[in-house]
Amino acid sequence: MLPARMEQAGGILRVIDFGEASPLRSQTLWHAVAYGVSRGAPATLSFVRPAAPYVSIGRTRSPWEVDLAYCGRAGLPVYRRMVGGGPVYLDPRQLFFQITVPARWAPPARQQALRALLSPAVRAFQAVGVPAALDSYGEVVVDDRKISGHAGGQVEEAVVVVGNLIEEFCPERAARILNLPHPRVREEVERRIRRYVLATPANPEGFKAALTRSYADALGLPPQAGELSAFERATVGELDRLFGSRRWLWEVDGSPKGTWYVKIRAGVWVCAVQVGRGLIVASGVEGRVVDVAPVGGIAPRARDGLAGLVAGVKGAGIEEAVRRLQAWGEDGSRLAGAWSRAAALAV
Amino acid sequence: MSGSTVRVGRYELMVDRLYDPEHHLWVLPVSDTRVRVGFDPLGVEVNGTLAQLVLAPLGTVVRRGEAFGSLEAAKFVGPLVAPVSGRVVAQNPVALSNPARIEQDPYGEGWLVELETTELPAERAYLLEGAERIALWFREQVEAYRRKGVLAE
Repeated sequence: MLPARMEQAGGILRVIDFGEASPLRSQTLWHAVAYGVSRGAPATLSFVRPAAPYVSIGRTRSPWEVDLAYCGRAGLPVYRRMVGGGPVYLDPRQLFFQITVPARWAPPARQQALRALLSPAVRAFQAVGVPAALDSYGEVVVDDRKISGHAGGQVEEAVVVVGNLIEEFCPERAARILNLPHPRVREEVERRIRRYVLATPANPEGFKAALTRSYADALGLPPQAGELSAFERATVGELDRLFGSRRWLWEVDGSPKGTWYVKIRAGVWVCAVQVGRGLIVASGVEGRVVDVAPVGGIAPRARDGLAGLVAGVKGAGIEEAVRRLQAWGEDGSRLAGAWSRAAALAV
Repeated sequence: MSGSTVRVGRYELMVDRLYDPEHHLWVLPVSDTRVRVGFDPLGVEVNGTLAQLVLAPLGTVVRRGEAFGSLEAAKFVGPLVAPVSGRVVAQNPVALSNPARIEQDPYGEGWLVELETTELPAERAYLLEGAERIALWFREQVEAYRRKGVLAE
């Protein structure tokens, strides 16, 4: 639980509902709030709904993880955010909320800070009839399915945690925006998204009210409707220019080097490792490999070895699985086969 | 591990270097004008499992208190705050390609950057040095974190 801080930062929980905003503004508005809170504005709960679909990548991630050609054709802008996580597809059927507090209020351990700042959201979901829980990974879930995408970060002296109410969700689009090496990998990602992500179409106004009550209770602060300060409004303009620039988007530009990794939710992932002209695709649940399958291009004479590898990798953790798959792929003697979908699928 | 160490609870601390008490970073002078920077064991523990590391490009000039990079753990991104002013002259490629090394070997292969600095004499006052002082501070930090429930018993 976060401590009550009535005496500090204005003694209120400022609540700002930005309503519907352009994709760019749906990012820059709440980032400006973070800069404001860092400089003394009250702790703030904000809401925003993107007016059109787009793609966002986390602070430390590369645009190479996004299928930029597809996004270009589909008219999906791509913006880098200042909080964590991978590439995500956002659209008007997702209501986003951001809780922003002075950094000194949050527990120093990141995992604890996230849990503290997400727990009120879980109670808000429950209040609108969604049987949500915060699981051991820190995901907001119903049973084992993620119902809210979240990410956190420190912006100057403010900590912000972002989440969403997913009213409707398109797994096909969520998988399609990713830069993946083969349609089979995309199919597997989409299959896992369908299984492990769940829309919970609660009434958005009821959810906003519940969220406001829940964060106000957790912080011990009375909620008060507010608006951006002059400083924050000026910061929105600056952030519009920054977030719209190629320099910011490409600030991190490492391309995948033969290994692709997609986290569906904490503990659930799909990983593809290049092996010659083919791939080995491994899927993990509860942190352990549950499925392994080759896709194209494995040399026929390596199939026996591959079968042994597949058996050996099942049950391994992600790091161990990737290490073994990469080591197998680096052995040139196994890479001589021509692209052969039929041969690969035979294993 | 080389150099002198002290044990505080289950943590082994290198005391041949300076510490930034606010951000749990160590600062090791490697020449008259160059320091190496890395996390201390408590900094590593509160970060959690590290997923991504981004460091400022070589040549970037940072002032003490400014970010020289970002670190992501559990979908939470935090700044890496420079303990001294200087110019980034080396990034650790091992940590960049495998941030887990920061957790596994924070004093060795898990270092972060090297800064060229002429400010250390002036900024030394912000840092802790000396085995006794470092151990006392670290013990207090461990206790404070334990009281807050940040550390497992």
